[in-house]
Amino acid sequence: MSFLECRAVSKSYGGKHALKGVTFEIKDGDLLSVVGASGSGKTTLLRIIDGLEKADSGEVLLKGKKIFGEPFPHRKMIGMVFQNPVLFNTTVFNNIAYSLRFRGEEGETINKRVDGMLRLLRLHDLRARNALTLSGGEAQRVALARALVYDPDLLLLDEPTANLDPYNVSIIEEVLQRSNRERRTTVIVVTHNIFQAKRLARKVAFLLEGELVEFGDSATFFESPRDPRTLSFIRGEMVY
Amino acid sequence: MSSQKHNQIFAVVVIAIVVATAALAYYGWPMGPQRLIIATTTSTVDSGLLDYLKPYFDNKFNVNMTWLYLGTGQALQVAASGDADVLLVHDRVREDAFVASGNGTLRVTVMYNDFIIIGPPNDPAGIAGENATDALLKISQAGHDGTTVFVSRGDGSGTNALENRLWKAAGVNTTGALWYESAGQGMAPTIRIANEHIGYTISDRATFLTLQSTMNTTLNLVVLCENDSALLNPYGILLLNPIKYFYIKSDLATDFLLFMVSPQGQSLINNYTINGKQLFFPVYGHPETIGLPSENATVNYLNSLLKSRGLE
Amino acid sequence: MSGFEIIVEGFIKALQILFSGDQEILGITLLSLRVSLTATLLGAAFGIPLGFLVARKDFHGKSVITAVINTLMGLPPVVVGLVVYLFLSASGPLGFLRLLYTPEAMIIAQMILTFPIVCGITISAILSLNPKLKDTLASLSAPRSWEARVLLNESKLGLITAIIAAFGAAISEVGAIMMVGGNLLGYTRALTTAIMLYTNMGEFATAIALGIILLLIAFSVNLFLTYLQMRSRVRRTT
Repeated sequence: MSFLECRAVSKSYGGKHALKGVTFEIKDGDLLSVVGASGSGKTTLLRIIDGLEKADSGEVLLKGKKIFGEPFPHRKMIGMVFQNPVLFNTTVFNNIAYSLRFRGEEGETINKRVDGMLRLLRLHDLRARNALTLSGGEAQRVALARALVYDPDLLLLDEPTANLDPYNVSIIEEVLQRSNRERRTTVIVVTHNIFQAKRLARKVAFLLEGELVEFGDSATFFESPRDPRTLSFIRGEMVY
Repeated sequence: MSSQKHNQIFAVVVIAIVVATAALAYYGWPMGPQRLIIATTTSTVDSGLLDYLKPYFDNKFNVNMTWLYLGTGQALQVAASGDADVLLVHDRVREDAFVASGNGTLRVTVMYNDFIIIGPPNDPAGIAGENATDALLKISQAGHDGTTVFVSRGDGSGTNALENRLWKAAGVNTTGALWYESAGQGMAPTIRIANEHIGYTISDRATFLTLQSTMNTTLNLVVLCENDSALLNPYGILLLNPIKYFYIKSDLATDFLLFMVSPQGQSLINNYTINGKQLFFPVYGHPETIGLPSENATVNYLNSLLKSRGLE
Repeated sequence: MSGFEIIVEGFIKALQILFSGDQEILGITLLSLRVSLTATLLGAAFGIPLGFLVARKDFHGKSVITAVINTLMGLPPVVVGLVVYLFLSASGPLGFLRLLYTPEAMIIAQMILTFPIVCGITISAILSLNPKLKDTLASLSAPRSWEARVLLNESKLGLITAIIAAFGAAISEVGAIMMVGGNLLGYTRALTTAIMLYTNMGEFATAIALGIILLLIAFSVNLFLTYLQMRSRVRRTT
C-alpha cells in the first residue's frame, strides 16, 4: 500500500489555477523533492497535504485513508516546517517543548526529548534564549526541531534552506537524511534548488504552473527526463 | 531572565494588585455610624458652616453627616427623587410648594444670612450705600454703557431666585443683555468669575467672607450694598415624606432637624464666624422678627419633640 | 502677589500638606485607587475573554460587533454618569438597589468606561498577531486550550497596554463619578472630584497636593507601560 497518494488534486484561487489534477504516490520512507518555479503550486500542495487547505477536487490519501480539511485526525502524524517560521515568544526550549505539551506529554519525557533535539540540531547553547532573537538559520533549525520532536510519520518542508548560509544548510540537510534513514520518516521537501534536490531526494516531482509535468526517481529525473520542459528547467533555460 | 520566571513574577504582581484592591474595599473609611445625606445648597457648604457643625452633630447622635453640593433647584429635585434624606435650602416659595405637593411633611425656618452686592473697589456703577433695587438699576445702566458687567449664578438656586426677584422689582429685563453673564455654577465659582471679569454679583455674605480668607489679596471685590431687608435670606429645613420615601433615613433626618433647632444648635450657628464676622443668624421660633409669617404650629410641635428627646 | 507667586506658594503649601500625612488626603487617594482599580480589573475580566472571542471566531456580524466596541471606546464619561445616575436614582428602575452615592455606583460607572477600552484594544492586539500563527498552531496539532494559552502569551504586551489604558482613563475621570458618587466627604470623594471641590472653594494648596498625587499615579503607571514596550522592542536581531 502506498503511504501517500494524491489523485487528481486541483485547487484554484479566484480564477487562478494553483494545482491542476496532480496525481502521484509515494511509499513509506521515501524522500521526495518537489521542484518548480515560484508560484507553480508547490506550497499549495504541501498545505493541502497538511490539511491547512482543502482541495477543490480530487483526493489525498494517507495510509489509505482520505484526509479532509479540518478537523484532521491524521495531523498528529505530520510535521511541517514553513518557509519563514513563526516561533513563539518564549525560550527555544519551550518552543520545541510545546509540540510535546500539545500532545499531553509532561515532565521528564519532555526534558529528555527536547534536549535530544537541541543536541541533534546544535541548538544547545541557545536553550534559554528567546526564540524571537534568533538569526534566520537558528530559527529554521528550531522550526525543524519542533516538527521532529514528536517523531512524525510524514515530514513536510517548504523551502527550508532558501536563505540560509552553508553551515545551516548542511545541518538541516544532514538531519533530514538521518531522520529519513534511521527513523523511516517519509519526507517531502519543496525546493527550487535543483542541486539540493539532487543531493537529498530519491524521488523528484516537477510542478509547472500547477501541473505535475514529471515524477520519478531521482536518477531518471536528472539524467533522462521524459518531458522536454523538465530538461529545460534543469538546465536553467526555462523562461517564466 | 527566563520566560518561566517572567510569568511567575507577572502572576505574583497581578495577584498582589487584586488582593490590594479587595483589601481597599474592606478598608473603606468610616463605615461605622449610619450615613445621613443632606441635600443642601452651595452656600451652606461654601461657607464652611456644615463642616463646623458636623463634629458636634456626629458625636451627639452617632451619625455620619454628609451633604450633596447642589443648587436649590437641584436639591429639591434630588430630594423629590428620594435620593437624599433631608433638605436644607433657602427658597421659601419652592419650599412651600414642596410640602404642598406631599413630598415633604414639614418645613421650618432655622436661620438666615444676608446677601450683599459686591463689586470692584472703584465701583464703576456708583452703587455704594444704595438699596438693592436701586443698585441693580444703576448696574444695568452702567452695563448698558459698557463700563461694567454683572455675573449671575444662573443655576436655579435660591440665590438665583432672589436675584431674579430683585431684577424684577427694579424693572430690569436681563435676557440677552450683553453685560449680564450667567455662570451656571455655585456661589464660590461665580464670585471668582466676577473677580476675573471685574464685575458685580450678588452673594451671600458667608461665601464671600470664606473666599476672602482663602484667596486673600487675589480677591479684588468689596462689599458695596448690604443690610437691605430685601437682601435677607432665610434657610429652611424640610423633612421628606417617610411613607412615600420609606427607604430614606427619616429618623436621622429628624435628628438633624432637632439638632439645628435645639438651643445647642442655634447657639452654634450664632457663634460661627469667619475672620470675626458672624455669617448666619439663628431665627428658629421667631421668623416674624425678620418679616416672615409665623410658624407657631410647627414650632410648638417641634418644641414638644425637643422636650421629649431631652434636647431643650 | 503676582500670578506666579501664587502658584509657587500654593505648590509649597501643597508639599507641606503631602508630607504631613493628612488622613483625609490619604482616604481620598485610597478611594480613588479602590474605585479605579476595581473598575479596571472587572472591565478586564470581561473585556479580555470577550475580545479574544470576537477576534478569533468568524461569525455573522463580526465586523459590526467590532465596530460597536470601538465606538463604545469613545463613550463620553459624563454621559455614562448621567445614564447610570438616572438608573440608580431612587426614582429610577434600579433605585431599589440603593446604590446611588456609593463607591459601588462609581465602580459601575467606570466599569462601563473601562470594559470597551480593554475589549477593543484586546481585539486589536489579537488581530495584529502574525496571521501565520494560526497555521503554525494548527500544523502542530495544538488543542483548543493550548491555542488560547499561546495566543495570550503572544499578545501579552497588547493586553497589558489595554489594561493600563483603561486604568488611566478611570483614574483621571471626573464627570461620571461626580454624578453617581456625589463627592461625599469620607465616602465617595475621589482625587478628581476633590480637586474640583477644593479649586472651587479657593483652597488651591490642597487642590495642588491632590493634583500632585494624581499625576504621580498616572505617570508611574504609564512609565511602567513604556518600560515594558521598550523591553520587547530590544528583541529582534537578524
